[in-house]
Amino acid sequence: MAERDTEMKSEQREWSLAELAEEVGLPARTVRFYIGRGLMPGPEKAGRGASYGQEHLERLQEIQRLQANGLTLAEISMRGEEVESASLPEPEAWWTYPIADGVEVRVRADQAPWRLRQIRRALAGLGQKLDKERDSSAGSGGRQGGKR
Amino acid sequence: MTVALTESTGCYTALSKETGEELKLAMQRLWLTGQVTPFGARLLVEHTFESAERRPVEVVYGFMLPQDAALRSFRVTGEGFEVSSDLQPVDKAVSAYEEGIDMGSLSVLARQYADGMMNLTVGNLRPGEPVRVILEIVAGVERHDDGFRFRFPFTLAPAYHRQARVVSMPGAGEMELPPEEFGDLILPTWKKDSSNLHEVGFDVEVIGGQGLTTVSSPSHGIMAAGEGSERRVGMAVEADVPNRDLVLEAKAADPWQIAWASEGTISALLGSSRFGEPDEDSPRRVVFVIDRSGSMHGKPFEQALKAVEVGIAALRPDDHFSIVAFDNEIEALSKRLLEANDRNRQVARDFLAGLHTCGGTELAMGVRAGAKALGRDGGDLLLLTDGQVFGTAKILKTARKAKARIHALGIGSASQDRFLAQLGRETGGQSRFLTSRERVDMALLDLFAGISPAVATDVEVRLDGKTLTTADVHVGRPLLVTGEGSGPELEIGWAEGGFALPVVEAPKRLGKTLRLLDGAAKITEVESRISGDPVGEDAGVLESLSREYGLASRVMALVAVVKREADKPGELPMTKVVPVGMPQDVEMDAYFDQGVYGLGSAESVGSALGQGEILGALIESRRQAIDASPARATREDEPFYRKVLGLGRRPDEDFDVPTVAWEDVLMEDASRLEADGGMPGDSLADRIAASLDLLERLTDHGSTRTKGAFRHHVRRLLDFLGEADLDEEQRNRLEELEARVERVFHLP
Repeated sequence: MAERDTEMKSEQREWSLAELAEEVGLPARTVRFYIGRGLMPGPEKAGRGASYGQEHLERLQEIQRLQANGLTLAEISMRGEEVESASLPEPEAWWTYPIADGVEVRVRADQAPWRLRQIRRALAGLGQKLDKERDSSAGSGGRQGGKR
Repeated sequence: MTVALTESTGCYTALSKETGEELKLAMQRLWLTGQVTPFGARLLVEHTFESAERRPVEVVYGFMLPQDAALRSFRVTGEGFEVSSDLQPVDKAVSAYEEGIDMGSLSVLARQYADGMMNLTVGNLRPGEPVRVILEIVAGVERHDDGFRFRFPFTLAPAYHRQARVVSMPGAGEMELPPEEFGDLILPTWKKDSSNLHEVGFDVEVIGGQGLTTVSSPSHGIMAAGEGSERRVGMAVEADVPNRDLVLEAKAADPWQIAWASEGTISALLGSSRFGEPDEDSPRRVVFVIDRSGSMHGKPFEQALKAVEVGIAALRPDDHFSIVAFDNEIEALSKRLLEANDRNRQVARDFLAGLHTCGGTELAMGVRAGAKALGRDGGDLLLLTDGQVFGTAKILKTARKAKARIHALGIGSASQDRFLAQLGRETGGQSRFLTSRERVDMALLDLFAGISPAVATDVEVRLDGKTLTTADVHVGRPLLVTGEGSGPELEIGWAEGGFALPVVEAPKRLGKTLRLLDGAAKITEVESRISGDPVGEDAGVLESLSREYGLASRVMALVAVVKREADKPGELPMTKVVPVGMPQDVEMDAYFDQGVYGLGSAESVGSALGQGEILGALIESRRQAIDASPARATREDEPFYRKVLGLGRRPDEDFDVPTVAWEDVLMEDASRLEADGGMPGDSLADRIAASLDLLERLTDHGSTRTKGAFRHHVRRLLDFLGEADLDEEQRNRLEELEARVERVFHLP
């Protein structure tokens, strides 16, 4: 019986805001917030009897899925725009750090700021160490040359 | 009107179709009025809304409750209407709100979430319609023996949470918290530049109950009028920006000794000095727990390190100590407590010199590590933090398990005083809060000096033969008594003494304030034990307290629906979130990595790699500036000289260090006390001379055996000099100083 109810609901093509919110387990205010942020379109029909369709339901489910995968609302809204504008694979942001002569390190950019700061500090230390070792080996090379 | 991603913030926002400019804010003004007493405050917070949109909007304003605070009610006023809120279980309040929205009515919902965070949502605000929502809030204050400090949040500070997601944009940042812990809470966008946000201001009455000497504010320019026990305090400028808390500090002429009665509730406040002097010479076991997260970066952190150094210098050889620094990792001086001998003091100084800020704020980890260092015998944790953490219930749970007294010093222009006050109170410790522009070192030292056994134990307070409370009294913390009943006086008794205190009527205009404050404190205490949604017994207790006192909580919200003519059912309001300013003195980078949009992270690393060159240029530039105009050098330059120029503890001979504050000089010298209590020196004669000199300067600035932040240092110096072989001149000087110490001590 319950399964049939669910099936009927998912076959339904029009929902009120309250019904749509209940369908995806979100408060109505959150759905309005998403619309206000441009994450999803407003109702198909405005005013009394405003309704939402299958695309709204699917978009909300997609937002939930993307959030579960760690994306923020701002990232989701940008992603939505990019997907609409061009069917390109999702880009990934990476920082490239030239930490020493001939050495570059790549770090994923979408990490927490505190983690990025830790990584940058560690890289700074590594860069200094590499520079120091290069200088000292150059210096000891010179002395060896003198001995010869 | 159209919706677009703005270049300035990267946020979706409403733009004018005609001009392309961002539309005016829906919330225009926030104004605070009310009464503030040593028992707490009863406040009216007026929010003025007016939207310039062409269609109805739903405005969400997020804020954090101050310590021991709860919402009692709100009034919604506008053209032709004034409606009061109803207190209802959250699900019913949300349903009523949604029904109102659906009917096109003006709907207002005030709902509380974890950590005392609130969302005030005003829905179906029509274009150009002025609406005021006046919240009534009761809130606690931080009480001292002879004064109190009141704090009200004009902004909501971002904070660390392991699962938080952040988005950085040029000049702005957003944060999202896990819904399983924070439900549908909507956080604001934080803006670096708060000058275009809503305006804030205040006009409050301070009612001392007994003579007040001063009312001041470390956060805002104020004007105070009145005398005796009351003051009217307003802002010195017409309006301000929402980028820091309001902090008011009231000083009483004498330690608290008041008992008020109001509508069947009795509240009394008794300064700890009324119960005798503490035994501050018993051996101490203390761990300094230092928050070194990125958000602590800057002067507060430097001052904190210095204060810890000075605190360690005041330890006696039979004291034990350690230091724990935490961000999202732990760095400890030692796994177990160390003896406070000369060698370990030096090890501690070296350890402190190597600390720097970085990472997140895993406060529970810091508390656990500190408690572990104390071991089974327990002791005191002196915690220094900005307290900028979300998910505080879990941290409080860890703290309760730690079985250590936690003394918390919170720093910040928008500090989490609600959480830190609980942390101190629930572990038997103290808490203090400072704005980021106050001296951290003196406050920390004062907190440290107050770590001692109770002044009096099992103090029983009775009213008309009935016991209201039985509690221990600690130095620096007045005893707060609240209960129901009536009678002409309170009888206070403990093993070593007792006295009676007349009960007087509280000022009539406070109404039920005393009872409401009691209720708000109880609700806050219960909520501090709940992480996630309140369910089962927790929810039942909260609902019962909410109903008993008529106050909102995590399970009871406030709602009002105003039916207006020409309401249009079904019209979808556009949801807008009120942005807030980044707290003053907190760098955006501490939470929102501005490097991503600014200079670029790679360049930041490049800077770190080329630090030597940049530092050289910076030093030269600062040297030139000060050479050209010595008056430009200020106290703020001192850490620069010490840390950046590497001048060590004393000014370098070939560099003219500008005049520094007396606190800095005393801090510096007091940090050098050796294990026997004397100052260092090449010979005993030098040590005696230096010790007499420091003792004189400490007493000059008001420290005695028992008073002042440096009182432990005074006692240590007197112990050293009392044992030393003094010549006649030195002996005379010591006697003079001892007489001065005693004389100051005997002043009323």
